[in-house]
Amino acid sequence: MSVDENNPEPLNPLGIAGIEFIEYATSQPQALGHVLQKMGFMAVARHRSREVMLYRQGSLNIIVNAHPEPLPGMSAPAEVPVLKAIALRVRDAGAAWTRALALGAWEMPMRAQAMELNIPAIRGPGETLLCFVEALPGLTLYDVDFTLLPNATRDVPPLNDLHWFGIVQTVAADHSAAWIEFYQHLFAFTVVPGGQYFGVLPKGTLLESPCHSFYLQLIEPPPGADDVDWDEGFHRVGLGTRDVPAMTAELRQRGVTFIDRGSVQLSAKGALSQVYLGGVTFEIVHSHLQDPLGEL
Amino acid sequence: MDVRHFGMDTITLAGSLDAKLRAVKAAGFSQIMLSARDIAEYAAGPDAAVAAVRESGLRVTGFQVLRDFEGLDGHLRDYKTDIAKAMLQMCHQVGSKVLLVCSSTSAHATDKRERLVQDLQALAMLAVPLNIRIAYEALSWGRFVNELPQAWEIVVAANRSNLGIGIDSFHILATQTALDEVELLDPDRIFLVQLSDFMWQETRSPEERITTARHFRVFPGEGVHSENVYDLVRRLESLGYRGDYSFEVFNDDYVQLPHHVVTRRALRSAQGMSGMLNRRGVPLTRTAAAHQARYR
Repeated sequence: MSVDENNPEPLNPLGIAGIEFIEYATSQPQALGHVLQKMGFMAVARHRSREVMLYRQGSLNIIVNAHPEPLPGMSAPAEVPVLKAIALRVRDAGAAWTRALALGAWEMPMRAQAMELNIPAIRGPGETLLCFVEALPGLTLYDVDFTLLPNATRDVPPLNDLHWFGIVQTVAADHSAAWIEFYQHLFAFTVVPGGQYFGVLPKGTLLESPCHSFYLQLIEPPPGADDVDWDEGFHRVGLGTRDVPAMTAELRQRGVTFIDRGSVQLSAKGALSQVYLGGVTFEIVHSHLQDPLGEL
Repeated sequence: MDVRHFGMDTITLAGSLDAKLRAVKAAGFSQIMLSARDIAEYAAGPDAAVAAVRESGLRVTGFQVLRDFEGLDGHLRDYKTDIAKAMLQMCHQVGSKVLLVCSSTSAHATDKRERLVQDLQALAMLAVPLNIRIAYEALSWGRFVNELPQAWEIVVAANRSNLGIGIDSFHILATQTALDEVELLDPDRIFLVQLSDFMWQETRSPEERITTARHFRVFPGEGVHSENVYDLVRRLESLGYRGDYSFEVFNDDYVQLPHHVVTRRALRSAQGMSGMLNRRGVPLTRTAAAHQARYR
């Protein structure tokens, strides 16, 4: 028996415990804020030094970044909002980052100014970041880097039981295997056995987080779509609920339109919102997940 | 099989990158293997070099070469990782999907297989967000890895979908590696095949191999090992390899001749080789449609 067999790799070596926040970048933050409000989010805080807003509902934190100066090698925010970063809640952010770099992740420069938190990050697909955030005793990163808006409350009740379900990532043709290895070796994600899907768009490869609290769905371009513009990146978020019809009814009342034609049919399994601002969609997914940051 | 399956390498020709691109295209080739120096030495700067390559319409077979990467420690390892990142970025910018990595010749590198495997795994991980495949080649004067089966063993142990083998006929012939070894490879993990011949029967020492490799190679059909080169290609085709063949011809005479003289020799070699292989029944699975499907 080898040493490895005596000491197997832990199933969740980084202590991942869910999605801490999702970040969009856009030069039109108010327009995106309006869409997020329709989806049940409230603006709660403003970043201390950059043009960045925090939106929240329940355990879901969304950061809208309109800071015009991009990180080296990255594009400045454009009008069409793009999913720019996923922050993972981990046991020890520094250790997680160091381990990822040793395994071959790209180091991304920090953005913090004086008295702000350094959030370590690595390069994700396209021009995206994967950030590591750890719980701080007695406070959160939002307490340090953000100022509460006047009249805002720290906690925003979610619409029903809305929680993170997953992120959809676009992948170049024949490139899924490499991305699967990326998430397996850096984060200990596991591949969900073939044929098991959630929601209304059952395709690609589904990866489950080691904390069993969210999924990544890798989607390659459809066959024969040679001329389709298909850059790698994070494409949309999936929001989970135990009652899709109730959730979609509530969101419709708030002005959200869902696609209900062709291969995308609204059902008890899930629903896909219309495209907002030229690139933002939300998928509602019937969820069996336990929300690690909320209280379902 | 025809000329489309073969490409030239900029190292075979003298002069500027622009002139090389024009000459290779004018000769009827559709692809070219680039060296990092083509980009670094371009008078108008690297961005202009990248633009010139893209405007040429030639497909980039691969990008070379990362040397002495694996098996280092401490500051040497950090240094080489930085070099690897810069090479990967250049490779990406120029539109190449393959980075050629030669087995280390460094006296400072370890021979511990586990470390060589880990280093190549980390390199493959770095290549994932850039959608680049790493072709690991056994240099015939490599310190610890100098024959194809050794390089293949490491690739198999590393087990990453974007890490494969690069085959250079010169090194196989120089070390007199049995061609039967080729039949043990997985064709989907052969990421690049470079072909050349040379003028004498044997290279007896590593020093003699280096001198021959860098100054006295010729196109297949021009030297004394052509039957072996044909045999190698025939075996690769039978195995199911459907990738590119690039002429890796370092020759002191060719870099002091007009381009059309050299490209004519390259074209004659490509035509001779495809004719020979076609007569021997190799093209059964090589069709124009299959080729287009692969390089759409």
